[in-house]
This record gives sequence, structure tokens and C-alpha cells, in this order.
Amino acid sequence: MDDICPLRGQQAFLLSPDTELAELLTGLWPPECMRFTVFERGRRAIEHLFNDPPDLLVVDERLPDIGGAEVASLVKSENVYRQLPVVLVMDREGLDQPRDWDQVEVDDFLVRPLDPKETRARVNLTMLRAMRALDANPLSKLPGNTSILQRIQQCVDSGEDFALAYCDLDYFKSFNDKYGFSRGDEVLMMTARVIVNTIRAFGGVRSFVGHVGGDDFVFIMPPDLVEEACRRVVQSFDSIVPHFYDAEDRARGSIVSVDRQGVTRTFPIMAVSIAVVFSTEKRRLSHAGEAASIAMGLKKKAKENPKSCYVLDQRER
Amino acid sequence: MEQDLKTSVKGQILSIKDLPTLPKVLDEVSRLVQDPNANTDEIAKIISRDQVLSAKVLKMVNSPVYGFPGRIGTVQHALVLLGFNVVRGIIISTSVFEMMVKAMEGLWEHSLGCALAANVVAKHAGLPDPEEFSVAGLLHDLGKVVGAVQLPELHEAVAAAVREKDLRWFEAERAVMGFGHDRVNAWLARHWNLPGNIREGMSHHHSPETAQLYPDTAAVVHVADFIVRVYEFGTGGDDQAAPLSRKALEMLKLKLSDLDRVLDEFAVQLADVSDLDLA
Repeated sequence: MDDICPLRGQQAFLLSPDTELAELLTGLWPPECMRFTVFERGRRAIEHLFNDPPDLLVVDERLPDIGGAEVASLVKSENVYRQLPVVLVMDREGLDQPRDWDQVEVDDFLVRPLDPKETRARVNLTMLRAMRALDANPLSKLPGNTSILQRIQQCVDSGEDFALAYCDLDYFKSFNDKYGFSRGDEVLMMTARVIVNTIRAFGGVRSFVGHVGGDDFVFIMPPDLVEEACRRVVQSFDSIVPHFYDAEDRARGSIVSVDRQGVTRTFPIMAVSIAVVFSTEKRRLSHAGEAASIAMGLKKKAKENPKSCYVLDQRER
Repeated sequence: MEQDLKTSVKGQILSIKDLPTLPKVLDEVSRLVQDPNANTDEIAKIISRDQVLSAKVLKMVNSPVYGFPGRIGTVQHALVLLGFNVVRGIIISTSVFEMMVKAMEGLWEHSLGCALAANVVAKHAGLPDPEEFSVAGLLHDLGKVVGAVQLPELHEAVAAAVREKDLRWFEAERAVMGFGHDRVNAWLARHWNLPGNIREGMSHHHSPETAQLYPDTAAVVHVADFIVRVYEFGTGGDDQAAPLSRKALEMLKLKLSDLDRVLDEFAVQLADVSDLDLA
């Protein structure tokens, strides 16, 4: 039985003079999953690669005009292309040569003779791994913007009911300014864990947590559970966050820091604001952008309250 | 010579891989973490009664892996931040104390009693966050547990000195090893990145006036240790009450007469837990 195709609409380049290899690879995926463009020589392909980078690059070591490893390092040395997964096809004898994998910047390799099923599984895995690694927030390791938008769009497309919550922290900047970014990062790590664990504690439901960046987080839940989830996030955050302040600030319940205008001001202990948008029968969201714009409006409302709070979009309730 | 012993003992202590606990508590927590309807509060309540499980979750949540070492001082907060899967993992990988159950039951009771007493004392002294004082009370004799596991011969020598020379455990430790469990606590607390207040409660409960940053916590644990000895709930390894430091009471702005009310309230709380069968 064939694997479920985890990829949609992927473009791949194969750099190889080996027609048998080209035939094998192009036959492994239906065209709606992955489409191959084959280059028999390496040098000419590089400009294409740079102008219109594919989602996957397979390079054969048998290229007549350039080494496979050289192509890989050309691609990987430039940060714009760095995330592109590169798979090297080698001959068994090539594996016998000692090589420094630290210098050969490929993500995986295949050894002739290629087994079709193994090849397909290996390549799928390589691509999925690259996607996950690409979009994880480096601090919290939660999925980032690309994955968040994808997930919202998936929810919209599926037509299911869902609630989308945007969270951010009040007075985070003043905390960061006073205590330094490494203490700020501690608070972000804590916030990420509070949100993730609170959402996951609702067992057996489909949910998602993402980290937009900085002090902005997103989660997706079934609509009937979201209010309880917000309540728990607020409660846990409020009881834990004082422990990230120095004892005297914590006792006073505020910090003294300089605001954006350069004026010395007193700022309260950080709070979490959550804005929740719904997509239900009464009102369906039509795309991810619509959800975001409604949420931004709600967030202003939530922010008027200096204490932790959540605001539910009433328009469709 | 003494310095050499200290260095080698410290290495032994910090290399501890597994802190075992008593079977009953472990069974109870294991049951709860398997129950899909159990919530964090319930699990926290049970874990908060066990010094080893509490130490394990606090050690983990304050490890650099999570990115906020030294910040989290209550089991409740630790559970929220670790999440169910990690807690389940900790419980699964905890072994029981079959070998030492008999000898250690008393210490478990003493520690639980000290946690309750610390909470009551902190409240009467008007201190915020009594939960954190409880944790410091619960963990104040952890060094004795780790010593028993990692240094069985020294532990036995201390026990023998207690029996034969009629010493308090703390005195016997210093006679045999040159230092007490308060030192051991200090090493562990620092190695595990526990918050400063818990660390000083653990390492200065015999001499609260020497605590540098959190004398309140050290003083509360000191008074709590005395109270639980007065009630003879559990045992710290010997059967003598530690002398109560007047300084500790002064530090907490408590008068001797205030202690009556503290003792009364403690007695009520103790009744709630004394039906707990630990072994």
C-alpha cells in the first residue's frame, strides 16, 4: 500500500545525467504532491535554483560538470536558500571514501541501488523535517508564523467550528528594558509553557499552539472550551509571573522603568491579554487574514484593562 | 582530612541519579496521573506531601532546559509548567524505597509535618506566599534522604553515634563527618537551581540568623522543625527536640505567646494528615 502523501504542490529539482534515476524519482509521487524538473548538468541548473528555488533539491554525485557536494554548499552558504532540503544520491563506492559530513551540507543521502519505497519515505521525511525546523520559534520551539497561517487556513477550509485566540503580554517591554532580554526570554518561555500545557490539558480535542514571535502567541481550540482555557491561562500566568521579578518589585507590585518617550514611569506587573475570534455556523471566517484583523481590534479592547483578561468576539456569538 | 571527606562526599551526593520514595505515595500519584479526569491541583496536592517527588519536579522545572532556572518554588506552578506528560514521566521513572521503608517512614512524616507547620508559622508571621514556606519545610531534611541512599556507610555511622552517644542527628553528623545535612542541602539546592528562598530554608534551618538573603524562610523552617518535634510527629532520625532559637522568633516578630495559637492551628492540620498511611 502506498503511503499517505504528506506533501502538496511541491516543486523539486533533480540534478542528474542518470535517466533511470529520473524515471524512478518522478514516478514516486503523483504530480499533485510533487513535480520534478530534471537537469542533466549541474552548472546551468544553479541559476534556475537561485532565481526560482524549489522545495527540494536532489543532487547526483555522477554530475559530469560539478561535484554534488559543491552544489549543496553553494545553496547552503546563502541564508535565503539555506532552508532548502538537499538530498545527495551516491554510489556505494562513494560511501567508502572518507568524508567530512560537516563540510558536505546535505540534509540526507540515498545510495544506489535505490529502493523506491524507502526513497519515497526518506524524501518525505526529509522535507517534513525541514519544514518543522524552518518554522519553529528559536526560543520556545513552538510553530511560527508560516505554520500558524497554514493551520488557520486548514481550519477555515475544512469548515469546522473553531476558536482562535491571540495572546500577548502587557508591560513586557518595560520588564525587558529594566531586567534585560535574558530575563525577558525567561518570561516568554514561561508563557509558552503555560499556554501549551493549559491547552494540552484538554485531552482528546484538536488544538494548536503557535508563537508568532516576541510576546505574541496564538492558540486554536474548539469554541465550547475556549473560555475555560482562557480563564486557566490567565489564572496560571497571574500566579506565576510575579516570581520573575526581583523581591522588592514583586512586593511593591510594580517596576520603575523608562517608557518609549524616555520618561521614567511606574509599570504594573505583567499581565496577559487574550482576544478570541470564532468561526462557527453563525459566522464563518473566510480566510486567515480576516481572523487576524478581527483579533487585532479585539486586542485593543483587551489591552484597555491593565489586568490579565480575555475578550471574546461577540459579533457571531 | 576533613576537607577531603567533604569533597568526596559532595561528589557522591551530587551524582545521585535516583531519589526513591515510599510505595504508598507513589501508588497514589501513579493512579492520579493515569486518570484522564484528574486535574493539576489534585496531583499537586499529593506530590506536595512527598519530599522526594516534590524535589524531583522542582529540580526539573528549574533546570536550564526549561529556560527559567531558580524561578519556580511551588509544586503547583511546577506542574503547570512541566505539563502532564513530563510529570507522568517523572512518576514512571521513580522507584520505591522497599529497602528502607521502615527506617524512612518517620522522616517522611517529619518532613510532611514540617511543611504544614511552616505554612502555619508563615501565615501567623504575616508573610506572603505561605506555599513556598511549605516547600522549604518539606525539603529541609532532604539531605538526610540523599545521604542514606548515596552514603550508606556514613549514614549508618551517624545513626550509631546517635544511639550510642545520645546525640541529636545534626550533632552526630558533625561529629562523624564534620558537617551536617544542612551543608548537603545547600549543595543539592544549588546544583538543582532551586529558588534562593527554598535553598536558604533548606540550608540555614539550624542557624537562621546566618541566612543572607532569605532569613525569613530559614527562621520559619527552624520554628516549624521545632513545632513538629514537639508534637512527636515522625522523626528526624533521633528523638530529641532541637532547641528553639529565640532569634528565629524575633526575626519573625513572633512572641512566645503567639506560638500557642500556631500550635493550636497546627494540631488541627495535623489531624487532617495523620490518617495518611505513608508506608
